Amino acid sequence: MDAMAKEISKGTTLWQGVVRFLHRTPRAFLPMRSFPELQLIAGRGIEGDRYLIGQETGFYSHKPEEGRQVTLFEIETLEALRRDHGIELLPEEHRRNVTVEGVPLNHLVGRRFRLGEAIVEATRLSTPCRHIEEILGKAVFDPLINRSGLNCKIIAGGILRVGDAVRPL
Amino acid sequence: MAKPIKTVSAVVSRIDDLGNDTKRFTLVDQDDWELPPFKPGAHIDVHLQPGLIRTYSLCNEPEDDRRYVIAVKREDKGRGGSNFLHEQIRPGDQVGVSIPRGGIRPILEGMNVFVAGGIGVTPFISVVRHLERHGRTNYALHWTSRGRPVLCDMIGPAIEAGRVRLYDTTIQAKPTIKEILGDHAESGFAACCGPVPMLEAFEGAVADWPDERKHVEMFTPPKRLVQSDVPPYELVLKASKKVAIVTPDVGLLGTLEAMGVDISVSCGGGICGACRTRWVEGPPIHRDRVLSPAERQSELIVCVGDCAGPKLVLDL
Repeated sequence: MDAMAKEISKGTTLWQGVVRFLHRTPRAFLPMRSFPELQLIAGRGIEGDRYLIGQETGFYSHKPEEGRQVTLFEIETLEALRRDHGIELLPEEHRRNVTVEGVPLNHLVGRRFRLGEAIVEATRLSTPCRHIEEILGKAVFDPLINRSGLNCKIIAGGILRVGDAVRPL
Repeated sequence: MAKPIKTVSAVVSRIDDLGNDTKRFTLVDQDDWELPPFKPGAHIDVHLQPGLIRTYSLCNEPEDDRRYVIAVKREDKGRGGSNFLHEQIRPGDQVGVSIPRGGIRPILEGMNVFVAGGIGVTPFISVVRHLERHGRTNYALHWTSRGRPVLCDMIGPAIEAGRVRLYDTTIQAKPTIKEILGDHAESGFAACCGPVPMLEAFEGAVADWPDERKHVEMFTPPKRLVQSDVPPYELVLKASKKVAIVTPDVGLLGTLEAMGVDISVSCGGGICGACRTRWVEGPPIHRDRVLSPAERQSELIVCVGDCAGPKLVLDL
């Protein structure tokens, strides 16, 4: 197998995406607000977000976790919900922090990549929550199984802005 | 281990004493963040103390998204929630509240007739404010009150425009539901919230109306069955792989609590919907006033539910 084929098989090089939306909320259940930029803090999370380590105010489950410092979601999933299920889910409604375009999130578990000027490490796929259905009144739980985004740890922090590139290391 | 957060953390920003034993409480986020959205006429559970959770309708409208406004009439013979709010809660206090549930859906075309008794007006205050905000005037609120009604300040323009009919029952006769509903049976929408006799009269009057054109909002639970009349049955919790026997004296909810199931319960009377649970095998017996026939095919209000067969399997 040549080098290119090896890289393709890893699914790690032939993509480059962009940050389309940024959101955060300070406490559990409160609506997400849109921001033009977020401050990512290495090893802790997003300034002002509910999952910032040391100031957690967002746990719905019994499992606070180090690997959920920043969460990503594919804009392509929003398009698929509209196309395949007739559900209009807005970027502020999926409750992940970073909505990206052109990034194969499901391929990146266990890998590090650049998110603007920051570096993050994907820890696990996000899972949908029933409480989102409760909040939104939209039946999104089943359609979001296996496409509910990606949880990441922040390896190197920095300012993340809408329009920033997302790319392999 | 961190405990799951199950309520919205709110701060009491303001308390207005409206007279007639009624206080209005304004709840906000500590940083004035937007609160979870709601539909006109929705309600929230207010967690006052461990074991003291009460459900109240929101009086403000969905567009007013940085506060929840509830109005509480003190009921000396009630179950303690209104007394606690009146006596113990002060501006600046923190309370947990649930995500709003329910709501009233007025029709776009045709007349919407709202029938309220006393403090039962609260969900309609929200609906009226919402309709007025959107310039929709195809409604009439018929509001009976013993003495001076409170909360009029929240729907002043609607009252001035003649879309609210007030009946002070200390000086005038109560109108009959039939008179109020008039000739709207063919194309109107009707909703009622008030004391039990009013609700019963309303339900009788709209018995033949299609479900989508009528709504009954209850703010006191119906009498709870002290003892179920069904024989014991096996309860299986599919996700947690627990099994127990439900006996008539303990009931379904009591059995779930004894099994250590962390289930959200509020009214305990099948009217608030907090404990709706998916069922897998049954058939269950539904005694709630919340679920539609379609919802009952997959969900059960466990605080008043039971099983018609030997085994009930819940998705817990």
